[in-house]
Amino acid sequence: MVDAEELALLTDTLRKTMTAASGQALDAAMTELGWHDLLAELPGVALPLVFRLLGETGAQAPLLNDVLLVAAGREPGGVVPLPYAGGGWVVWARSGEPGTAVDAELPLRRAGHGEPLDPVALATGRRAVGWWLLGTGRAMLALARAHALDRVQFGRPIASLQAVRHRLADTLVALDGAAAALAAAGDVSAGEEELGALLAKAAAGQAALTAARHCQQVLGGLGFTAEHALHRHVKRALVLDGLLGSARELTREAGRRVIADGAAPRLIDL
Amino acid sequence: MGPATGSAPFAAVPGVAAFRAGVRAWLDSHDLTPDGSHSLDAQVAQLSRVRQALYDAGWMRYGWPPSVGGFGGPAVLRAVLGEEVASRDLAEPGIYSLIEVLAPTMICYAPPPLAAEMVPLLLSGREQWCQGFSEPGSGSDLASLSTRAVPRGSSWVVTGQKVWTSLAQYSARCVLLTRTAPGHGGITAFFVDMDTPGITVRPLRTMHGVDEFAEVFFDDVVVPGMRMLGQPGEGWRLASDLLPYERSTCFWHRVAYLFTRLDRLVSAAAVDETGPDGADEAAVGAAYLALHTTRCRSRETQRRLAAGETLGPETSVDKILLQTAEQRLYDTARDLLPGAIELDNSPWRAEYLYSRAATIYGGTAEIQRNIIARRLLDLGKE
Repeated sequence: MVDAEELALLTDTLRKTMTAASGQALDAAMTELGWHDLLAELPGVALPLVFRLLGETGAQAPLLNDVLLVAAGREPGGVVPLPYAGGGWVVWARSGEPGTAVDAELPLRRAGHGEPLDPVALATGRRAVGWWLLGTGRAMLALARAHALDRVQFGRPIASLQAVRHRLADTLVALDGAAAALAAAGDVSAGEEELGALLAKAAAGQAALTAARHCQQVLGGLGFTAEHALHRHVKRALVLDGLLGSARELTREAGRRVIADGAAPRLIDL
Repeated sequence: MGPATGSAPFAAVPGVAAFRAGVRAWLDSHDLTPDGSHSLDAQVAQLSRVRQALYDAGWMRYGWPPSVGGFGGPAVLRAVLGEEVASRDLAEPGIYSLIEVLAPTMICYAPPPLAAEMVPLLLSGREQWCQGFSEPGSGSDLASLSTRAVPRGSSWVVTGQKVWTSLAQYSARCVLLTRTAPGHGGITAFFVDMDTPGITVRPLRTMHGVDEFAEVFFDDVVVPGMRMLGQPGEGWRLASDLLPYERSTCFWHRVAYLFTRLDRLVSAAAVDETGPDGADEAAVGAAYLALHTTRCRSRETQRRLAAGETLGPETSVDKILLQTAEQRLYDTARDLLPGAIELDNSPWRAEYLYSRAATIYGGTAEIQRNIIARRLLDLGKE
């Protein structure tokens, strides 16, 4: 177990590391920090914390490969083809070659084919990407909130306008709901871990896309410039939503399961 | 009249899992199934029957303090009991959950002897009570309420009108908010006997055909001073203090109920000979995802309550998740059961229509977003 003080210290260290480095440099720094041990020994702490912070800081590293490898009982440090929306496959390189994704920072490119992932590994990966999407959504909300308070039009901050306030409120509702689904995915009833992770990833993808839509609107023209940070998070949300199944696909898959069962699995209890 | 004579099913207050197992086993062997009538009279009679049976067997008394006839234990046991009641469709969850706002108010604000005398009447199903809050001129702006209470000797005289008062026509008592001075600090609560001369109840016809709500008129109604809840001017605080109960236990009950409706929907829709298509799967999945997310959030809220945290504006998030999920579910029902709402007089009709109010009652969707913007996002004043 990790106590609150250790967790705060770890959070602080990770945030500083991710603020200072990204990509290959962050991959190396994480290995140095003991990421592999953390993942093997404390996945319940490592997964939410590391991936949420990637989202919040806007940094990126090919750590999802490690999550899938370790969950499948293999050694971390390699690369594994990842399922993408629409039945596609992608590779998240860790050797430095650039990718083709709309989010140009991510060294991600299409791959011809891949081996179907072990279901436990897939579920673990979906939770990790879900936490990342949540962090990305929170980063967008923070940017839009700060702008709404700063930006004066008609002689007052636009944060005083109800239309703006309600968009930001809806963003927070979506993000907090997704956070609850992600937290619950860590302790659903036995045998339902895969469905719990699927729903959590769907909720997180949907919430991040909701955040992108509302925050882009609140930021107005500024959020459309490449000078402002928002576009990086918007593009990251788009790419991460498709990774290991999009919110749209996963939602439909959940519906198929409910219809086949003739009942909706409750997954969690008091 | 004292508490009923039922004995406790357990020697000590059980844990959640043991309590749930005990309730389930008991309900399996005690048939409380409603008779199938959907009239409001039948629903209210069924509610009394269920409460009485659960009280006499002891289940209804867990999670309530011994000072009001309870067996003690954490409030989460009430959430578990309500979930079992809702999951078996034994009582309509909206009216079942009214005790979750009424009884805590009495426990916190009534003079202890009054709470000890009255609360068992509510828990045991011997009486229904109502809550006189909204007025024709005071809906979202509740603090502007104008029903007046004026002191006369050791009593108070109440004049005014309430509206949207659930079950007023069945109620023996009312927790009533009145104005005794200007402003938020001028609202005072009373516990009023509904058979007091000067009270007139007129059920409201609503679009879903169930006259659950009423207008209540107060014409020089004399209320003894000892029936004041809290001190003069504490009414606004009393109303605010209800939120943790309304937004935790009641919501858990309602989510459990909505899950049963999703189950029912997919069973009903499955008999369609064309079978589900991709759009059906997407719609069912979206309704399920919204309900699951709400349930996850509600569990977090239950846990915070259990840990002794004070619940506040963050429960507006729970409220928006719940009302959104509820309307999505019934929109999906209308899509997947073509004509069921429009042409067939099935329970789906009233339930669908009632779901339209989910973004209005208990604080509108807009008020919730205003609270989130101001209190959680700290966006300053409008």
